[in-house]
Amino acid sequence: MNDLLLKFNTLSKNQLRRLDRACGWSLNADELAEAQRQFRRMGRAPARGELETIAQTWSEHCKHKTFSGPVTFRDGGKVKKYKNLFKETIVRATKTLNKKWCLSVFTDNAGIVEFGHSGKWGLAFKAETHNHPCAVEPYGGAETGVGGVIRDILGVGLGAKPVLNTDTFCFGRLDSKQKLPKNAHSPERIMRGVVEGVRDYGNRIGIPTAAGGIYFDEGYLLNPLVYVGCAGLIPVDKIHKEVKPGDLIVSIGGRTGRDGIHGATFSSANIDEDVSASAVQIGHAVNEKKALDALMRARDLGLYNAVTDCGAGGFSSAIGELGSETGARVRLEKALLKDTRIEPWEIWVSESQERMILSVPKAKLKRLAAILDAENCEYCVLGDFPGDGRLRVTWEGESVVDLPMAFLHGGVPNFEKEARRRAVRISSKPPAARSLSYGELLRRTLAHPNVCSRHSVITQYDHEVQGGTVGKPLQGRYGDGPGDAAVIWPHAATLDQSDFCGFAVSHGFNPALGRVDPYQMALHSVDEAVRNLLCAGADVSRTAILDNFCAASPRDPRVMGDLVLAAEGCHDAALTYGAPFISGKDSFYNQSRDADGKEYPIPISLLISATAPVADVRRSLTINFKEPGDPVYLAGDSLRGLGGSVYNELSPSGNNAVAALDMKGAVKLYAALSRAMAAGCVRAAHDVSQGGLAVTLAEMAFSGGYGASLDLRAAARERGLTPTELLFGESPARLVLEVAKGREGDFLRLVRGLPVAGLGCVKEEPVLAVRDGGTELFTEDLAGLKASWRKELI
Amino acid sequence: MIIEIRTKEKYAANEERGFIGRMAHAGLKVRAARLSRLYRVDAGFSRAEFGRLGADLLTDRITETYSLSRPRPGIRGWRVEVWLKDSATDVVGESVRGAVADVLGKEPQAVRFGHAYYVACGSRAALRRAVEKTLVNGIINKFAIEKI
Repeated sequence: MNDLLLKFNTLSKNQLRRLDRACGWSLNADELAEAQRQFRRMGRAPARGELETIAQTWSEHCKHKTFSGPVTFRDGGKVKKYKNLFKETIVRATKTLNKKWCLSVFTDNAGIVEFGHSGKWGLAFKAETHNHPCAVEPYGGAETGVGGVIRDILGVGLGAKPVLNTDTFCFGRLDSKQKLPKNAHSPERIMRGVVEGVRDYGNRIGIPTAAGGIYFDEGYLLNPLVYVGCAGLIPVDKIHKEVKPGDLIVSIGGRTGRDGIHGATFSSANIDEDVSASAVQIGHAVNEKKALDALMRARDLGLYNAVTDCGAGGFSSAIGELGSETGARVRLEKALLKDTRIEPWEIWVSESQERMILSVPKAKLKRLAAILDAENCEYCVLGDFPGDGRLRVTWEGESVVDLPMAFLHGGVPNFEKEARRRAVRISSKPPAARSLSYGELLRRTLAHPNVCSRHSVITQYDHEVQGGTVGKPLQGRYGDGPGDAAVIWPHAATLDQSDFCGFAVSHGFNPALGRVDPYQMALHSVDEAVRNLLCAGADVSRTAILDNFCAASPRDPRVMGDLVLAAEGCHDAALTYGAPFISGKDSFYNQSRDADGKEYPIPISLLISATAPVADVRRSLTINFKEPGDPVYLAGDSLRGLGGSVYNELSPSGNNAVAALDMKGAVKLYAALSRAMAAGCVRAAHDVSQGGLAVTLAEMAFSGGYGASLDLRAAARERGLTPTELLFGESPARLVLEVAKGREGDFLRLVRGLPVAGLGCVKEEPVLAVRDGGTELFTEDLAGLKASWRKELI
Repeated sequence: MIIEIRTKEKYAANEERGFIGRMAHAGLKVRAARLSRLYRVDAGFSRAEFGRLGADLLTDRITETYSLSRPRPGIRGWRVEVWLKDSATDVVGESVRGAVADVLGKEPQAVRFGHAYYVACGSRAALRRAVEKTLVNGIINKFAIEKI
């Protein structure tokens, strides 16, 4: 390989490709040619460290070339061209909305919005994926995913204090009968490892894991998705960071080893059987906790000018990013190592965990060192930021990298991707006759893996640490009902126990819809996330959202077509809901072959994470019925279409249409409901989502331990809607509310003219009885419904 | 020295049931099982000092017992020992190494953390297949099966 490196400037395309494969860079032909052109221009051969740095800096993981690149989208005869898909959809929506309460968007490690009434605090929020590492080593992959997103929060501005972790997973069906390739793990094995990894890291570092979800689909059999998120509080005057020429480069936290080499470039490759063990990273929560504590103390004393985390690409990425304008001089022999048998270029690109890079004025190093020593947090001074715009990395005086920053960060060639709308045959016919009673269908729906209880996972996480989790993942009279959103009172960060301002975090996710209509999937996901916030009593007019796209290979124009449609959906939904995107991430190449050579591309998967303020956490809402005699209302129109529904999986209806979301109607409805909630009219609220209205009613009932006697006759519905679609359809923008008995008049005044219908009332007797005018639909005992729902997933 | 920690028999039913269920999922019928945690402490300490680590540092005395030699779990079958490969960072081992230094005032060269499973089941080959499916990941783990 060394011979090829020495002859790099004269290699043919094929030789370049072979070299790329041997080194694990995942650079394409255009990028290799561009690198070759640059070194020819410099009149010298590259060093291994330089090519590693280029591969890392230009990787999909770091540069997001697919989403940020030019795309030509064809939809029948129509053609639309994008120069930068991300900027023309997601970023454009945020710019158009131009919300004053957005303090930092798309420029740092996380987005930041205003928090609280004092004007002193910002709320930083970020979600990441760690899919490929979890497919290879689920426990380590999940741990380091959590550790990585926490470091994003530590590395935003001058550092935010983490107060909430979130996690959303997608796995293959646990009962899958598919034959797996030799080195692939079963979904059960992956799920167990991922859950244990999230649990161990979050619990050990002392951050509550209190929001998320789990989704099962055969599309994730070989490519699990692991979305991890983190929210933290940051003083507003600590948001701005700026590396000053002359500052020292200080690495704090973990030591550098050979673990995680090529993680960034690994994200740009399809997973095959030959994945190298070095791509596996191992997390160390206690080391990160030390770095966290030291960083918060040093931040408050103003001991550094900038900070960022060592993520994918390690020193190369973090120092390269901080020194993108000033340049950087790095002496790798100063790095603290786990293992001395490591090449200098490996030190440079190693993705060993729990490391943060600080830009420290020389005069403040001594005081910083005293804090690091007191927190037992290791550190080393790696070099400085000289101000000449050049990256020079040496080891014992020998050059490892000597490149202009402008080439590294601006040199990546852009190439156009083809996108095409996927052909999907839509059937809107009425659902086929059912063979089971509605009661039996409800029990089966409650037991479905995408609906049933997640208690066996949730109870492994510490969601109470820091003492601020007001809206819990498990809610209700018995503490076991499914919460819609986490409500956090971050007094552990603000240290103010007299201010009850908090924030809610929720998610929207439905890849089953994406198989039919990626545009509607995006709308539904944003709507679901906003509706979940509303159900917790948050102020949804101040919703901020994150986008996390995961997709199969972007070389397939249909995959790119799904992405374009979903991104357009995100743009339209953000504008209509007035909810700006503040941060996001994407992950591609989630595609593998099974033992028989069958391709397993994941469906287009978009996780929307949303946050909104809760003015007084003591008045936040939960989902369970509270009081016999309280009236129950259904808000929103029930529409036709069973596409992507759980019902269709259990009992194929022949109808795969997806109900189109009326966004303007939803926004108007939510504004009125929000006023009703603020006025104290609403005692409980729960969204209608997977499983449909029947599941929502059952969950509210058994979580409260109270039954209900309900008649759906008055429910607003599309003409021709069948009882099956009314009970099990998953049309968006609907929620069920329990209204306080004595406040019904106020409630009705506030929602006048909107599709809000009284269904009946909560009953003492633990039975859920539902009819539609003269037709009895089902009468079910709550204990039986709950027993169906309360499955042990692991 | 390997210090082995086991849950006392009267408290072990849950973890054993969980393990048996897990192996069943991997296609192996297990009649009975016992589980242990293993700490390999590389240090020239006296037996009394290792005993102190077992008793005071690594064991919850109410629910667990420790042993400096291989315990006899009362199961006829197989013993599976699982460790992280030496090249994989052992976070628990590293933390325990620091804790050992705090307790004894001297630091061991290394501490590695592992698991032992005592399993009453059919053939070694069937057990091996189930272990590979559910307990170890060949990329980061090494394991051994021996008859007991």
